[in-house]
Amino acid sequence: MNSEILLIVGKMVLVAAVILGFILFAVLYIIWGLRRVMGFIQSRIGPNRVGPQGIFQTIADALKLLQKEDVIPEGADRWLFTLAPIIVFVPAYLVYVVMPFGDGLVAEDLNIGIVYVSAITSIAVIGIIVAGWASNNKWSLLGAFRAAAQLVAYEVPMVLAICVPVLFAGSLSLQQIVMAQKGYTFGFIPRWFIFSGWGLPAIASVIYLGAGLAEINHTPFDIMEAESELVAGFNVEYSGMKFAFFFLEEFAASFTISAIAVTLFLGGWQPPLPFLGAQLTGFAHTIVSLFWFLVKSGAVVLVLMWIRGTWPRVRVDQLMNFGWKVMIPAGLFTLLAAGTVVAVWG
Amino acid sequence: MRRRRLPAEIIYTAVSLVKGLIVTGINFWRKKVTLLYPEQRWNLPEGYRGMPVMPVDSKTGRDKCIACGACMRICPEQIITVEHEVGEDKKRKLTAFSIDVSRCMFCGLCTEVCPTGGLVPSELYELSSLSRDEMKYGLDELHKLGGFHPEEPEQEPESDEEEG
Repeated sequence: MNSEILLIVGKMVLVAAVILGFILFAVLYIIWGLRRVMGFIQSRIGPNRVGPQGIFQTIADALKLLQKEDVIPEGADRWLFTLAPIIVFVPAYLVYVVMPFGDGLVAEDLNIGIVYVSAITSIAVIGIIVAGWASNNKWSLLGAFRAAAQLVAYEVPMVLAICVPVLFAGSLSLQQIVMAQKGYTFGFIPRWFIFSGWGLPAIASVIYLGAGLAEINHTPFDIMEAESELVAGFNVEYSGMKFAFFFLEEFAASFTISAIAVTLFLGGWQPPLPFLGAQLTGFAHTIVSLFWFLVKSGAVVLVLMWIRGTWPRVRVDQLMNFGWKVMIPAGLFTLLAAGTVVAVWG
Repeated sequence: MRRRRLPAEIIYTAVSLVKGLIVTGINFWRKKVTLLYPEQRWNLPEGYRGMPVMPVDSKTGRDKCIACGACMRICPEQIITVEHEVGEDKKRKLTAFSIDVSRCMFCGLCTEVCPTGGLVPSELYELSSLSRDEMKYGLDELHKLGGFHPEEPEQEPESDEEEG
């Protein structure tokens, strides 16, 4: 009995360490990639000095942040101020528990996986509000207010969009949703949801990505850290390692959004063409499925970077109008149509 | 701009967003404008005004300065000092000359005003040093940096095309 518990605890610790390592590794290279991509878009080169093509740049920056003095402003609420970066980071970390990295490569295949994901990702805003409040700074507080208002407006269309692939797959488990996208039409068009269901999941994927951008406060919906109005939003007062945690959370969240989009609409770890690993079995299959999941997620992250380098920031009223007047009705109608399709032909 | 109806507004917005993505997408693949500085250098334009220097005659090894002090008077930053003594033949003789390049803004007034073309602009622009004293260039250093006057056939590559 005791050894069983020990085994479970050991497994949990191992999984937690692997996931944490993965997040840190992914974020390091997403930040480096973002800087390179933004540079290329602006006809610059971007960081290319630290290591080959600058791939160690983020490590150097993180080391610099580690050395920085840990400043807590005089009027700040010390406990909450210190706690906020952790509250923000933990949800971004917890989401990866149900992430289907590959066939069988999932820490815990919850049967309500997608509900868990949408519930956990919305906790991060509590950390942002805590950070904004504890900083005792008007810019921070305004940024936190905006983040909260934005989350309320965009959580609804996001869940509506998530419901569409759930309807087609008939399951809330992420692994089951990926399984439902197995196979190829005419032998070469993958049966991913984005290519099937009469285009309804494709519309849902656009809504999901839009709402997801707002959820993680990504351009064009990054009004909560609008430099021209709020200096830096909720994290004005943060510096050093605490700031690094917010930074880490931001990029971990952008990977999360991409990975969930891949799982729901782009076939998860299913290879895009039959001869690219669909016939493999055993360990080779696991590795190939992990590879395809990472490649697809990376591609979506690249699209997010592209958006970040292109689109301007919306105003607060535009954001709210867009959320309530466009996203929610569009999400509702897509869900209704998808429900009809599934009920009649499903 | 005239007001559109909501569906038209949505279509217009979507199209313009995609247009923006195409523009940045094209720029992503374009040649980059960044100059990788220590490895790649500027092609200096003709008539570039760098730090003022004092070339010397390749035969006699003497500069063309007549110690008139015009450069010292015109310098807006007042960083040029010219010291002279009057010799036995009643001619001015240069005894000391220095430029504090740390404050020089490369305006080129000193080289323009020089009546003999003794002080000329060079192509030197990488002048950083570890102390302020090192940035104060005396007569010998200005001679060395200036090289020889261009009229001479056997000139060094370092010397200058333009005469002040």
